[in-house]
Amino acid sequence: MNTTPVRLLLVDDEERFVTTLARLLGLRGMAVTSALSAEQALAAFAPGAFDVALLDVKMPGVSGVDLLVELRKRDPDIEVIMLTGHASVDVAAEIMSRGGSDYLLKPCPTDDIAAKILSAYERRCAKKG
Amino acid sequence: MPQKTPESASPSRALALAACALALGAPLLSGWAGMAAGAGAAGCVLYGRWKWAKLVRQGKAQRDALRDRLLQSQKLAAIGEVAAGIAHEINNPLAVITQETEWMEHLLAPPLPMSEQTYSAVRQGLKDVQAQVNRCADITHSLLSLARNWTPILQPVDLNTLAEDMAKLVELEARQRNVTLDRRYAPDLPEALLDPPLMRQAILNLLVNALHAVEGGGVISMATAPGPEGGCILRVADTGPGIPEQNISRIFDPFFTTKAPGKGTGLGLAITHRIIDRLGGTITAESPPGKGAVFTISLPPTPAKEPQP
Amino acid sequence: MDKAKVLVVDDERDLNETLVKRLKRRGYETQSAFDGLEALAVLAGEPFDVIVLDVKMPGMDGIETLREIKKRHPRIEVLLLTGHASVESGVQGMSMGANDYLIKPVEIEDLLKAINQAYERKRLATENA
Repeated sequence: MNTTPVRLLLVDDEERFVTTLARLLGLRGMAVTSALSAEQALAAFAPGAFDVALLDVKMPGVSGVDLLVELRKRDPDIEVIMLTGHASVDVAAEIMSRGGSDYLLKPCPTDDIAAKILSAYERRCAKKG
Repeated sequence: MPQKTPESASPSRALALAACALALGAPLLSGWAGMAAGAGAAGCVLYGRWKWAKLVRQGKAQRDALRDRLLQSQKLAAIGEVAAGIAHEINNPLAVITQETEWMEHLLAPPLPMSEQTYSAVRQGLKDVQAQVNRCADITHSLLSLARNWTPILQPVDLNTLAEDMAKLVELEARQRNVTLDRRYAPDLPEALLDPPLMRQAILNLLVNALHAVEGGGVISMATAPGPEGGCILRVADTGPGIPEQNISRIFDPFFTTKAPGKGTGLGLAITHRIIDRLGGTITAESPPGKGAVFTISLPPTPAKEPQP
Repeated sequence: MDKAKVLVVDDERDLNETLVKRLKRRGYETQSAFDGLEALAVLAGEPFDVIVLDVKMPGMDGIETLREIKKRHPRIEVLLLTGHASVESGVQGMSMGANDYLIKPVEIEDLLKAINQAYERKRLATENA
């Protein structure tokens, strides 16, 4: 298994949440870039710069799902996990159909978040071969 | 002899049988037999009409039952939506609390003693948790507000004064955000009979909503006018982005909000709507293209005062 | 119509005592309390009709005091007074059952109107109970 740190793009409009989660994931050896909006995220984005993206579904301005579509367009290899405050069959279906690989329901312990990110990372490594 | 129509026959079948009876009877029989055949046919027709009426009644009952079931499932769907909205609203602060407490656990891990820096970080973490708890409390309190069974206590009031009081409250903050609060009060506004604290809440919520809409600068206009039948009209308009066509019908729904987290619970307009409804008035929202949003409250006229003996 | 029995709750002594004097001169039975806890103690001892309550107080602030008053004496009408209009505490206070929200410095005539209207409301509520 690869020992280089997982490069994660974390996007959520809740500032406290993003700061603390970034720190906690950093403790687990991930290289986290945070953004508080889709616009900020796209400004920090470059194809190949990130292995996994973790996006909040509900954000003012450009939504998480729209951002998902855009990121996948710019980097088809990136794995995208969605974070949502309310999961429903419709939300899940939409996420999967737009290219999301997984989703998490808030609140969620960091261990579970990290586990999902690592699975996604492994999928990506496998794809790259 | 006329055919006896079976119980399950449709009215058309009964009529058809009657027609057959006539058709058969007329050429084959004559005189009394013909009359009997005719009477029999008429009997079939009458019986058919009775059957028809019964079926129509049954149909109406079925329709009413279906309508009730539809209303019930619409109600349940609405409750479901509100419940999902609540869950979503509370899940966000809970998420912050989850990660925040994990971080504090990390900070408090041995070895002791902890540094000054760590100590401050833990205290900050606790403050953040408290802030999120307060946020949850705001949500549940707003919900209780919405759920409260208000019986309005009616008092005669000058709506202009009431509105201006709320405007003064919002004005200072508005100015800081580059927002002008324009007021135009009708001098001939009739006295209104309403519950003053409830009306204050209703107006305040509209102003707060307008303030959020013109974030960064704009104009909020509030105006009163006498209503068409002697009541009062109060209008709050803003020069914000307006309400998209597909959202207008949902604008007063609880938790229907497009705002950033922690900024308003999405219940302000729902509470306003409920209050106005309780006061016997109506509130509408419009968003003419390129002109922001306009909320119009219409209050019923005060019942004519009984002449004192 | 008899006049409301008023309790003025404000940690600024001078302001508080001046207001009480002015109300007394107008025929209102009035008392002072200088913090939330004292206010609750006074209310536990005697019946009051209207409270004039400052929002910003050290220790137990106005909103907390309002909450406690409404819990123990739901029929008492509370007028919130503030030195700087805070829309947020206005909304919060009103939703918690405050009758009105006034900005200092308040004209004595406006305060009297508010007290009278609040007292009238208390009487109507008790009549129809």
